[in-house]
Parts: sequence; C-alpha cells; structure tokens
Amino acid sequence: MEESAVYLLCLAASSGVPLYCRSKGSSKQLTFSVIGSLNGVHMFANNQDVLLTATCTGNTRVVWRAFHDSINLIVMSSESAASDHSLHKLLENVFGAMVLVIGLDELTNIKNVERLKKDLRACYKLIDSFLMENEKMGDLTQCVDCVIANDTAILQECLDDFTQAAESNFGCLIAGGKVVAATEKWWRLSSQEVMLLCWLVASLPPNSSRDYPVYLPQGSPTVPHRLLTFQLVPGVDVCVLCGPSPSLQKVENELVERFWKPVVDPLRACLRVQMRSFPASVPIHRGILSLLLVNRDLNKSLHTVQAHPAEDVQNPDLKLALAQRRLALRSFYTLAMSRYFTSDHVDGKNSLQFEEPFPNSFTHSAHQCYTVSSTHKCYGMKTEAHLLFLLFSADVPTFSMRAIANKTMQLFSKDFPF
Amino acid sequence: MAGVALPKPGSLLIPDWQQSAEGKEYLNSILRKKKRKHFGLLERPVLPPQLPADIANYKIVVCGKGGVGKTSLIAKLAGLEVPNAHHETTGIQTTCVHWPACPRGSERPVIFRLQFWDCGETALRKFDHILPACKEKGDAVLFVFSFTDRSSFEDVPALISRTLGDDEDLARVVIGTKLDQYMHTDVTEQDLRVFQRTWHLPVMRVRSVNGPRLCDGRSLDGRAGLADAAPVLNGLVELLWHRDQVAPWTLFSEVNWPGGGSTAPRLSPRLPHCAPATLRLYTGPHWEDIAWATITGHVEASPIRTGRGQQPLYSDRSLCIMTKTAI
Repeated sequence: MEESAVYLLCLAASSGVPLYCRSKGSSKQLTFSVIGSLNGVHMFANNQDVLLTATCTGNTRVVWRAFHDSINLIVMSSESAASDHSLHKLLENVFGAMVLVIGLDELTNIKNVERLKKDLRACYKLIDSFLMENEKMGDLTQCVDCVIANDTAILQECLDDFTQAAESNFGCLIAGGKVVAATEKWWRLSSQEVMLLCWLVASLPPNSSRDYPVYLPQGSPTVPHRLLTFQLVPGVDVCVLCGPSPSLQKVENELVERFWKPVVDPLRACLRVQMRSFPASVPIHRGILSLLLVNRDLNKSLHTVQAHPAEDVQNPDLKLALAQRRLALRSFYTLAMSRYFTSDHVDGKNSLQFEEPFPNSFTHSAHQCYTVSSTHKCYGMKTEAHLLFLLFSADVPTFSMRAIANKTMQLFSKDFPF
Repeated sequence: MAGVALPKPGSLLIPDWQQSAEGKEYLNSILRKKKRKHFGLLERPVLPPQLPADIANYKIVVCGKGGVGKTSLIAKLAGLEVPNAHHETTGIQTTCVHWPACPRGSERPVIFRLQFWDCGETALRKFDHILPACKEKGDAVLFVFSFTDRSSFEDVPALISRTLGDDEDLARVVIGTKLDQYMHTDVTEQDLRVFQRTWHLPVMRVRSVNGPRLCDGRSLDGRAGLADAAPVLNGLVELLWHRDQVAPWTLFSEVNWPGGGSTAPRLSPRLPHCAPATLRLYTGPHWEDIAWATITGHVEASPIRTGRGQQPLYSDRSLCIMTKTAI
C-alpha cells in the first residue's frame, strides 16, 4: 500500500455488498477482489467463532469492526501515526456519523441496499472530515474541541436565553468548528454525540440556516430530532436541538437578531482565537509547543499546536512543524491512553476491550507519564477532573516538566477555568 | 397570483444597471478582494454613507425532483462552490443572496436579500413539517427542472399543484438547470415556448457549473460569478418587485414581540416605492419610535400619500404594517 494512505470500507454484513469506500492520500480504487478478501477473512473467522479485530503488515494496519451484526467497517491505514486505538476510534466515529445522519433503523434493518447506498452519501462529508482532519483532536479523544473566547461569559448568557426562547434546553455556539459555549443540558448528551454534532455542522457547506434531522446515536438512535443552525457571522453558527416546534422561520425571524445582534463583535472575536484556542493573555510556559487538555466531567477538550501566538503562521517551515507537533501529541495521547491512563469511566457501550491491557500484572494505575525523544519531550498528567498532555521542545530539562505541567494545570483550573 | 400579468423585462428595474458606474459601486458591497462576500444572518452589505439603499427581504422556496440540481443552482447564485458529487439535501438548508438593483424612476437603489430555501425530496416525503416550514411567509417558489431529464420537465405542472394550493399567493417561476450539458439536452426551446404559452409562467435557464477561478487557482472569481448569475437574479427580483407593486395587499407584515424588549425588531419592509399606497402602523408601546423611524425612512423615499399623516394605532404585542395600493 502507498505511503500514508487510508482506506475505509463499509459493507452490509449479511450480504457482503460494499456500501461505500472512502479514501485519503490515494487515488487508486480498491479492486472488488481486495474488498471481497478483506470481508471474506472476517466472515470466515466469524463462522469459526473467532472475532477478527486487527492485523498489520510491514507498513499497514487493518482493523475490522462489526456494528449491530448489520454493518461491517474495515479500515486500512499506512499512516505512521495509526494505531489500533486510533483506528477503533475512527470506526466508532464513522458508525456514529452514519447513525446520526440516517438513523439506526435504516442501518440494522436493510430493506433496499441501493436505497441505503444513496442515503449514505449524505454522510460522506462528515466521514471524510474524520479521515482528513488536520487541526482538531475530537476524533481521537471523542471529547469535543473547544475554544476559550474573550467574552465567553456574555456569549454563554446569550446562548442560554436564546435556547430557552427557542423552546429548547439544548443549545451550542460553534466557531470555526469548535465549541465556544453550550448549555448545561447540551453537555449532558453523550460525549460522542456532542463531538459528532459539532463535526457535522463543521462539515456542511456554509448555509445561512438549516433544519437538519439528526438521530442521536446514544440518546435517540431511531427517533430524529431537529437540529436548527443559524450562521450568525461567517464561521460562527448557533445550534439548537429541538422537537417539532418552533419552525425554522420563526426562530430565525423573531429570535436570532434579538438575542445575537448586541454581541456581534464578541462573536467575530471568537474566530480570532482559533489557532491557539484560547486568548493570547493566557500565559503558557515558553517550552510548551503544544497542549491538549481534557475536561473529564464535561467531556470537552482544549487543544493547540501553537501555544505561543507570536509564531509566524505564514512561514512554511512552521506549517510543517505544526503538523509534526500535532502528530507527536496524537501519538503520545494514544500511547498514554492505551497503556497508562486506561479509562475507568467507559460509558458501557464501548467497553468491549479490543486491545490487550498493559501490563497485565499492574495493580495500580499511573497518574503521570512522560516520554523523551531527540526532537521533543512529552508529559501527561491525570487528575480527578482533567487529563493534560504537553509537548515540549527538546531543550526543556526533563526534571522541570512535572513542575510546568502542574503549573499549567493550575492555570486552567483557577485563572482560566476549563 | 395567476391573474397578474408578467412584467416585461426591464420595465420596472433599470436593465444592466449593475454595469453602470453607480451600479458597480453598489456591486462592490457584495464583493471582497475579487471574491463574493458572504454575510451571516446578523450582517448586511455595508455601503458608504453617500450611497443610500433600502434592503428588501424575500423568501424563495426551491422545489423540484431529486437530482435536478436545486442545491447547485443556489450555490451558483450565491457564489459558493457548486458541489461536484450529488447527494440528497438533508432537511432544509437556506442561503442568502444579496443583489442590488435600481427601480425605474427612483433615486434609491434597493439591495434585494433573497433567502433561498432548499430541501431534499426524501426529506419532504419523510417529514411533514418541511413543506409548511418552507412555505411559511414565502414570497415565491422556484420550480426546478433539468434540461438533461425530460421527465423532470414534464412533471413541472404536477409539481406546482403538489406544492401550492390554489389559494396560496406565492409567485411561481420555472427554471431549467444543467444548460451547460447541451449535448445531453432532453428539452428543446420549442418545448419551452409551448410550456410558456400554456401556463403563463416565466421560464429561466441556468448553467450550474463553477465559473472561472482567481489566479490563486482555488477561490471562485466573484465578478465572473455575478455576471453568470445576473440574468437569473435580475429576472427574479423584477418579478418580486412587480408582485409587490401590483398585488392588492392588505396586511403587509406582522411581527410578534412578546414582552416588548429594549431593542426593536428588525424591519426592512418592502414598501411599494413607486406606487401610491396607504400605510397604517400598529405598534406596541415600547418601541414605537424606532419602528416609526424605520417606516419614515421608507415613506420619504416614496410617494405615499397618507402614510405619515396617519395616527399609529397600538395593540399590545404586535406590529402590523398594512399597505394597500391606491385605487
């Protein structure tokens, strides 16, 4: 397989009919025989009562996963950062996306394969965004990416009032594909749903407003809700999840300007913190290149590859460096989560273990971990409320990482609470 | 609306006004660095103070068989990327297009804010709320067919009766897409002439393909895109303008404003500028001044005889603007 290519296959489990194939980094189509073999080996194992989950070749990893005995997803990746952990997350997200857009009934009770194929096209943009993503982390953490805006408090208040006026409890303000503010109830949706809804809005073409039926994969997989979205200024959308009323027209005409017109400047300002995800006034240690902070209670995350706003984004060398930082942090997160910080709060449904726990003999769980390489260093920290992952430049002394991590954690729990 | 004769093109709005020196300045308000400028719901085109303009809002519903190119048509008019692969639109999506035009005999150009409501065919069948939501307070319906699909053309009359009841007063426009694929054309000019004679409906044509790109090779050329969209946009706004002039309206618009609130609701009423009309205003007590000021701005620009002299009448929770063409 070509260097850094990814193929994603979706098949109907009962008939083996391919439903779609999406790919990244390669223009070559998979031949039908390859698709058939990939599915065949999984089916063969299944018939022998063996669950085939993953394999790897010299440069490629393959992961299989069956959902509801109806849909089989297969992913093949030759990306260097790919791991079983990240590929499993990818498949969960992809299936979640399919449920979100067309509903679980259509996927578990396939009456007309051709019809289903046609319907699934509506998910392509969202699915592709999981394959192509190069800025956010929500696909891996399944915790939605957020930004800390300068006027979060005011925007939060507007959002709460607006949502209530729209006869709903579920409201969310999204800027550049990241959450600025959301109502309390919105945060009580499952973490995957919150992430999927945000990515859905980011993947759709820019419209002034939408009335989009969504099936919540955990909360309501068979009965659709209406997701209303309104583009307040380009790049900033407010979303409300509601039942049969009110109509799109009514909310747009009577509520949008009334609640949001007074805060149009703070709304525009949300887009200016995009690259860093938090204001320039948040003091971050010089040695930190990149940061990922996860709020374990609300399942939201804060991520930046550019911790210092002074860096010149136009510089092509920096662009490359940013991509490398992102990869390094993703690999470190994957390592830490699959080896040391094994999650103890799995939400029931995903509790099926596909990876060998490491090491089996450990009776305690780690709270902090670090890695050192010739190009950079990483430090991870787990507390009651947060997970923090930091990428340092190589010249930061190893012994100081713990102190810096502690200080950074303090910063985001006290001065700029996240 | 069936009884209202169609306007002759150019009879109400100055044709090719956008090409004039004045028109170009207005056109600049919807462009930025040679690209089309896009506006959020809270935004309007900004004009320098010496260029006055009114903004007129219209809601246009786009209907047609699945795959004829409704979404692409709207993308083309809005200066957005025309999607390269087809998939059915999920639910409703709306897109705002701003287009300046100048009515004949008026000093004040109008920026038409056309909001296109697009919905997929399956969504329409699957969810009952979609069609009523689209038609709610609508001004016009675009019935779309594809030049490459004859059945979509032949279905247009049935589509019209499926979509609109006889009592529904929305303007009707028929539009053919995919004119670019002339090799595969399935509908002839003769067909269109017969159709037009039979149904007395305006028929437009459009090529829904992306126009030229700027020298960066990625962004669409805003001016070229506008030039492509101009015939359709001009045809549409003239029709809507005409409809406003001739239609015997009673209740012009009504805005509910529970509890009053400190800010006034946005009102950009499309008042009949050129035709004499009466105007009555009902407002709630909290924001009468602002609403009145907005109305005044429009009244001054048009030869309305009795509007300003009349005493506003109040009801507690809503604002009604009533217009009636003079006999």
